[in-house]
Amino acid sequence: MKMLFTAFCRRNLALAKLAIVTNLEYRFNFIIDAFIQPILTVGVEVLLWVAIFNTVAKTADATGLIGGFGRDSYLAYAVWAPFLGRIAISWMYEAMMVEEVASGSINTILSRPLSFFEYYLSQTLGYKVITTLFSVTVPIALSLYFKLPIHFDRLFGAFLIVVYYLFLVHTMSFIVSALGFYLTRVRSFTLLKNLSLTLLGGELVPIDLMPKALADLLLTLPFTAGVYVPLAYITGRGGSELLMQGFISTTWGLAVAGTVAYILWNRGIREYTGTGA
Amino acid sequence: MKYAIETENLGRIYKTYSKQEGILNSLKGFYNRQYTEKVALKNASFKAEPGKIIGLVGSNGAGKTTLLKMLSGLIYPTTGSARVLGFEPSKRENEYLKQISILLGQKNQLWWDITPRDSYALLTKIYNLNETSSKSRVTELAQLLQCQHVLDTQLRRLSLGERMKMEIIGALLHSPKVLFLDEPTIGLDIVAQTTIRNFLEKYVKEQQPAIILTSHYMDDIAQLADQLFLISKGEIVYDGSVDHFMQTTDLKKKLIYRLKNTTEEKEIVFNSQELTQVLSDLAKAGDVVDLKVEEVDFEDVIHRFLQAESGAR
Repeated sequence: MKMLFTAFCRRNLALAKLAIVTNLEYRFNFIIDAFIQPILTVGVEVLLWVAIFNTVAKTADATGLIGGFGRDSYLAYAVWAPFLGRIAISWMYEAMMVEEVASGSINTILSRPLSFFEYYLSQTLGYKVITTLFSVTVPIALSLYFKLPIHFDRLFGAFLIVVYYLFLVHTMSFIVSALGFYLTRVRSFTLLKNLSLTLLGGELVPIDLMPKALADLLLTLPFTAGVYVPLAYITGRGGSELLMQGFISTTWGLAVAGTVAYILWNRGIREYTGTGA
Repeated sequence: MKYAIETENLGRIYKTYSKQEGILNSLKGFYNRQYTEKVALKNASFKAEPGKIIGLVGSNGAGKTTLLKMLSGLIYPTTGSARVLGFEPSKRENEYLKQISILLGQKNQLWWDITPRDSYALLTKIYNLNETSSKSRVTELAQLLQCQHVLDTQLRRLSLGERMKMEIIGALLHSPKVLFLDEPTIGLDIVAQTTIRNFLEKYVKEQQPAIILTSHYMDDIAQLADQLFLISKGEIVYDGSVDHFMQTTDLKKKLIYRLKNTTEEKEIVFNSQELTQVLSDLAKAGDVVDLKVEEVDFEDVIHRFLQAESGAR
């Protein structure tokens, strides 16, 4: 049993390394992915929130607060949301998984003693680790430079829930790719899923700015655990109870998604025709 | 276990969406899809012993790759059953997958963006092999295939022949007991083909795996196969040795000759037993100044056999 577990760990570590080696092979793509893209997204969000607060200052006397939070709080949100969002979403590896099923190159994985789920989960984690190590410097530097209200001591807890949430995101990617057994071309599902996650996760609009009933509903769903929950935790909008709620909702989300994935995969693999080989 | 592979009435039917030409039919197909069923393989029953190579020959779409995919567990059979090394392939148990290998000549199985040596290190972890013996196996196989010099070059930068040799090393790294080779020499030059053929011949003698080999190059089959399966329209129409096939098939010979005062060579294809008659007719045709008799090659024989089989169905 111990030997099996050791073999499992060695294998998955090797797959995570594969993702790191492969991504570092293409330097410009990596730099754009790890730096340029998050910097641009942060820039857009920051400009948006600066514009909103400038308008508020001109048109209202008030406290200068929106939804109970001030300018710096939203800037902190704007700086960290795209960064967390890019960890908590899977475009590249989901596209690869979908392509494997559609093109039949999944045969290489199916004929070896490892699972498709495991193969891509380890690679996704490896890829996320290496890009995060580089790209996290951007929000940290901006937060320190602009003295944004970030609880740096809470970063570990925030990262922990994002990584846990990543298992759910990967299971959803697995579901989308398993749909390829039935429908062949499923790229539009990836777009639909990721846009929904961006919206439901609070990356575009902070959950606490949404109507209360909707915000309450969204907080009971697992999707906020990728961006809103960790962000609320490090910006002080919520405490450890919010983090715990995020862990619980992600757990039942995993149970539901896992069941759907299991059924779709087992039925789909029976229909599979090993296309293209 | 006497047989490495045993199948009984193995078959597979594919269901495909069929659409007629044009936008109107595309719109119709949007709400009312018409499906057709295609029998890719039917009633395939055979046994294969360890240490033997089965040559699987048939035209495109005959069902060769479908058979390999079912035996390697990639696709489920629609009918019948198969047991390979005592396992049911479609269950894809790890213990089973550790003992087989499938090499699809037109697909990369190693990782495109890393070097073969990195790929082998990864395979060592996937198959849970001993790292030291795995490394020495790579060296040994690379020497046999004469390709040590490319082990540290990114796969994407290798020529087709070099890539195929790398793929073969990857497929054999875990010493599989059953090997499925689908067109392993496709697109390769004659030198690379010969190297791979000689390597496989030696490898089977030493390691005794059961191999099913498909190839469009009949030299592969003629040199390597102990047993020959001819497959036509999803059915195995011949199961026997290559020698027996050549002896029992209506073998033809080719007589090539040139008459006096001409530069053009002419040829007559005839059955072996007709030689006397053919020579007698030729003598009446004029003064023969050059003459040779050749065997019609294996490829032609198979081609004619499959054509006849296909026409008979």
